[in-house]
Amino acid sequence: MPSKSVVATEPISSDFKIMNQAIVDISPLALATVPWGVLCGSLAITVGLTPLQAQLMSLLIFAGAAQLAALTIMGSVGSISSMFSSTFVISSRHLLYSAVFREHVRKSSLGLRCSIAFFLTDEMFAVTCAYMEKHKNFSAVYALSSGITFYVIWNISTFAGIIAGQHIPNLEHLGLEFAIAATFIAIVIPNIKNRSTLVSVVSSGLSAIILSIFMEEYALIIATFIGMFCGYLTKDNDKNKDIINE
Amino acid sequence: MNNFWLALLGMTCITFFCRFCFFSKTVPFELGPKVKRVLSYTAPSVMTAMWVPIVFLGHQGSSGDFITSPFLIAGIATVAFSLLMKNTLAVVVFGMSIFGLLTFFF
Repeated sequence: MPSKSVVATEPISSDFKIMNQAIVDISPLALATVPWGVLCGSLAITVGLTPLQAQLMSLLIFAGAAQLAALTIMGSVGSISSMFSSTFVISSRHLLYSAVFREHVRKSSLGLRCSIAFFLTDEMFAVTCAYMEKHKNFSAVYALSSGITFYVIWNISTFAGIIAGQHIPNLEHLGLEFAIAATFIAIVIPNIKNRSTLVSVVSSGLSAIILSIFMEEYALIIATFIGMFCGYLTKDNDKNKDIINE
Repeated sequence: MNNFWLALLGMTCITFFCRFCFFSKTVPFELGPKVKRVLSYTAPSVMTAMWVPIVFLGHQGSSGDFITSPFLIAGIATVAFSLLMKNTLAVVVFGMSIFGLLTFFF
């Protein structure tokens, strides 16, 4: 149907342009998370979930880091409270994204606000902010198109992981676990642009190692808090330097 | 996992709440600059707290040593490569290839 509407009105054709742009922009980021989605699917099978349960995690929760942390907890201690607390801590960065988009979506309908919120991820936030900076205005079409593209690729890769997890025993030996490490390194390291972020990363990493050895259940949450706290404290000291750098 | 459905429901609500929170018309307050600054360190901190144990403690799952662990060697190589290349996908592919080669040959 879209191909027939060549003589469509201006808003529709420009919406298509925005949609295409959104899909092009988010695709590399979405493809980089494919190994990670495969891991979420196969790990879910490994810890004993049914294929339906594994797919529902990606369909409903739709948060890679939170899903992986939850699966790791299910595989070891399995307490619901530590699953919920780690989900909240990991997802709390979305509060920030939500606050940034707030002024742009506040007057939209409840349905649109719910949709944009549901498809809000790190990657969608990153490309939508870049679009906003370039065009000087927020586009709901852009945000939704990039978010939905990401959602589809995430769920297809989870599905692939579920299939692989059922048919290939000991899939974790193929190094999918390392894919998480590689993905996070690729996202975190190039984004260290000031001293406070560096301090936050180093302190979180060091405490994660020490805590993993002594109290694995809470290592992720406590290390994250330590990293946030140390980064926050450092920022104050080099505020002037930051301004010069920017 | 007997409580799976409860866990799924809870986690769905938590992740949606965090994303929708400030879109709600009933939330009257804005985040202060200090809270925003604290939250801006969440993503790097939580991701680092996940990748560092995989790279530095990954050898514990197998019988290998710390120094010769493919997790450690490929992890450090990926960090080095990520400093040179800003392209996420290229870094992931590079890291996975190094890890694959190391586990295949050693």
